[in-house]
Amino acid sequence: MVFISSPNSTTIFFNLNPNTTTLYSLKQILQLQTRIPISLQHLLTPSNNSTYDDSALLSHLGITPYSTLALHVPLLASKPRLDFLNSKPPPNYVAGLGRGATGFTTRSDIGPARAAPDLPDRDDDEGDDKGYDENQKFDEFEGNDVGLFANSEYDEDDKEADAVWEAIDRREARLKQEIEKYRASNPKITEQFADLKRKLYSLSADEWDSIPEIGDYSLRNKKKRFESFVPVPDTLLETPVTDLTAVGEGRGTVLSLKLDRLSDSVSGLTVVDPKGYLTDLKSMKITSDAEISDIKKARLLLKSVIQTNPKHPPGWIAAARLEEVAGKIAAARQLIQRGCEECPKNEDVWLEACRLANPEEAKAVIAQGVKMIPNSVKLWLQAAKLEHDDVNKSRVLRKGLENIPDSVRLWKAVVELANEEDARLLLHRAVECCPLHVELWLALARLETYINAKKVLNRAREKLPKEPAIWITAAKLEEANGNTNMVGKLIERGVRALQREGFVIDRESWMKEAEAAERAGSVVTCQAIIKNTIGIGVEEEDRKRTWVADAEECKKRGSIETARAIYAHALTVFLTKKSIWLKAAQLEKSHGTRESLDALLRKAVTYCPQAEVLWLMGAKEKWLAGDVPAARAILQEAYAAIPNSEEIWLAAFKLEFENHEPERARMLLAKARDMGGTERVWMKSAIVERELGNNTEERRLLNEGLKQFPSFFKLWLMMVRAESRHGNKREADILMAKALQECPNSGILWAASIEMVSRPQRKTKSTDALKKCDHDPHVIAAVAKLFWHDRKVDKARNWLNRAVTLAPDIGDFWALYYKFELQHGTEDTQKDVLKRCIAAEPKHGEKWQAISKAVENSHQPTEAILKKVVVALGKEESAAENNRH
Amino acid sequence: MDEVLASVAETIKNFAVIYLVDITEVPDFNTMYELYDPSTVMFFFRNKHIMIDLGTGNNNKINWALKDKQEFIDIVETVYRGARKGRGLVIAPKDYSTKYRY
Repeated sequence: MVFISSPNSTTIFFNLNPNTTTLYSLKQILQLQTRIPISLQHLLTPSNNSTYDDSALLSHLGITPYSTLALHVPLLASKPRLDFLNSKPPPNYVAGLGRGATGFTTRSDIGPARAAPDLPDRDDDEGDDKGYDENQKFDEFEGNDVGLFANSEYDEDDKEADAVWEAIDRREARLKQEIEKYRASNPKITEQFADLKRKLYSLSADEWDSIPEIGDYSLRNKKKRFESFVPVPDTLLETPVTDLTAVGEGRGTVLSLKLDRLSDSVSGLTVVDPKGYLTDLKSMKITSDAEISDIKKARLLLKSVIQTNPKHPPGWIAAARLEEVAGKIAAARQLIQRGCEECPKNEDVWLEACRLANPEEAKAVIAQGVKMIPNSVKLWLQAAKLEHDDVNKSRVLRKGLENIPDSVRLWKAVVELANEEDARLLLHRAVECCPLHVELWLALARLETYINAKKVLNRAREKLPKEPAIWITAAKLEEANGNTNMVGKLIERGVRALQREGFVIDRESWMKEAEAAERAGSVVTCQAIIKNTIGIGVEEEDRKRTWVADAEECKKRGSIETARAIYAHALTVFLTKKSIWLKAAQLEKSHGTRESLDALLRKAVTYCPQAEVLWLMGAKEKWLAGDVPAARAILQEAYAAIPNSEEIWLAAFKLEFENHEPERARMLLAKARDMGGTERVWMKSAIVERELGNNTEERRLLNEGLKQFPSFFKLWLMMVRAESRHGNKREADILMAKALQECPNSGILWAASIEMVSRPQRKTKSTDALKKCDHDPHVIAAVAKLFWHDRKVDKARNWLNRAVTLAPDIGDFWALYYKFELQHGTEDTQKDVLKRCIAAEPKHGEKWQAISKAVENSHQPTEAILKKVVVALGKEESAAENNRH
Repeated sequence: MDEVLASVAETIKNFAVIYLVDITEVPDFNTMYELYDPSTVMFFFRNKHIMIDLGTGNNNKINWALKDKQEFIDIVETVYRGARKGRGLVIAPKDYSTKYRY
């Protein structure tokens, strides 16, 4: 039994007899068990003798039963030991020196660790040998260091080296001898005079001094090294003053003299044009370096393009253009000519060639071009363009047409050049050649007489059944020739025919055609087109809206006739629609004549007798035209149609009142009151009385009115004003208080009451007013006025701004604001207010309406009215001031 | 020390190889590297001896037995990192000087 502790810390045991088992067989068993190859197994035996061989019995190795062997696999790969490792290293070999290893010495007390090459430490054979012979003599040359080569063997190399050295020694000895021999026969100068020189020591100082100088002749041969320059002093320069500008000018004069001489040469032949000379210089193109290098690069590129792909026309064109840009027109021409040769079937190349060619050669070039490509329209057109007179041009074009009879552009060009007669003939031919071009047909029809034109159009229709333009032209033709009744029929037939052909009729395009017809003056055609096409593709319920929108669009575009036609058609369908009548009337009012408007309104009221607006419009138009009786008649008719309309009553009253018929007006109002008129009737009645000066009557009416309509603030206001006018201030105050009780939410009343009270009380009053109706523009405006009077400019501006933003419709505030800005603001703010006012288009306001509704101001723009109101405000204020004083 | 070396050989195989040298079999470097201790660990990187400052005063080698595997791995790694950067002397992560013991 033997235990083996294996490397993976397990213990294996084998049942074997150490006296009979060899180490080899144990290893074999181990190999079977642990799969560690025998060569890698390394057993640590108790005897720890590493020099056993495998055939030894285990007992010989000190292994007894129950002893433990440690199996250890050496980390070092156990390759077979290389052969050279067993041999002796060469002398002085130090391991690791080859790879640059250096040792270290840390413990010099133990001994020198560094591998010193002079220490024969490798050779331990002699044991205590010190490495050198202690008894050797101190060598003169080597000192004690015999050891350096002491243990080296004397070999062939050394022998040879020694021989060489000996040869050198011999040679040196020989040379020395030779030199000595030579010196003996040829002594040196110093040696020759050596004996004389020896005697010199006996020379005295005087004798030394009396030796003559030989003189320095070498100086003569020496070159002068440098010359020195000295700056000239300023004083030298000062005396003759040289003016550099004068010098420059002088050169200019010389040049001009030269030029003069050239121009005035005696023979009269001028070589240089002195005036053109400098301009010529200026016009010379100076190309910068960068451009030049760019051009060079581009030239190279294009050259490669045209060389690799000579059949590529754009390459040639680009190359030619580059040369042209570079200013080398000749090179450009040459290039493009080669291009033409390479790509003769490309019209662009020919066109370019023509462009680059001399004006006198261009024709020849283009002629060549058309010879190469006879069916190129572009080339023919270019050729025609090159001709100067029309005859030649048309000749060229005709020639072109011989080659390309179906080119519309050529036909057109030729027709443009021809006179009317020729043009007609040409067009006849043209429509035969290109029957599918409407323009040619239409042009022909235009040139023909009425009868022939009809024929032409009929033929055109046969050729082009899907072309609405032919029908429209036909209609225009009929209209121009007075056959107005034919127009409608034609258009109708046309529309039907086109529908039959399956041509999708687009309303929009028809409308455009109608507008075009209108612009061309063919009103009837326009109307006919509208009549026949306006309904196409519109849903039953959408009709009214669409038509009105179309008409508006047309009106905006200025096509009044078209719009009128649309309305006319719409009104035939919607006879009783008030809104369309109104729109149509507005159109007439803005763009039509008075008569047409009148006629329209008449028609309108017959169809919609209940529409009081139409009646009133009619009456007003009459009145504005100055025809008061007619207006009166219309109003009477209106009254008959709508007896209970207060509007009509009031209109009638206004008419009478404005035309200074107060009695009639009063009568009308009385009637209206009897008929159960509203508060407005009462108010108007009171106004009439006020105007007439019937104070008592006025007061009576107001009282009665207030009894009926106690919450109508205007009546209250009038009452208060009537009292204050008569100086009954107390009365007025009481009334105002009452009025405010009745209508506490009326901003106007509050504003009036603020105005009425004395200055110190105004503030309290205005706070009251603001409490009651916080966002009422009238109150705000009144407060603003208060600030204005107190010269609190910023606050006043703020409040006025609030007022106009709250009620942009009320002109009074705008006027107030504008007046304020005139007084306190800058020009910018004034303009701003004006602009905003115009944008807001105010309609209401007591003073505003008084001015805007005045007959003489009926068509004034907002701006003018605003200014007038401002003036009125100023007047009123000064009047109030006067009253107070 | 042998156990430590054998057990970490696999762990550090990606950056280091451990060679076991029997100085009786290969006596060539004994003088050069002063190899006379029972066990000596030296580090080489690309044939160049890498010194390591262990705090012991001898930067050339580890001439005592390390007990801790991780400690040894750390030292090898430090050597490897330093040598990669071209250092000839690296500083061990731990100070092994004896001054703290006395």
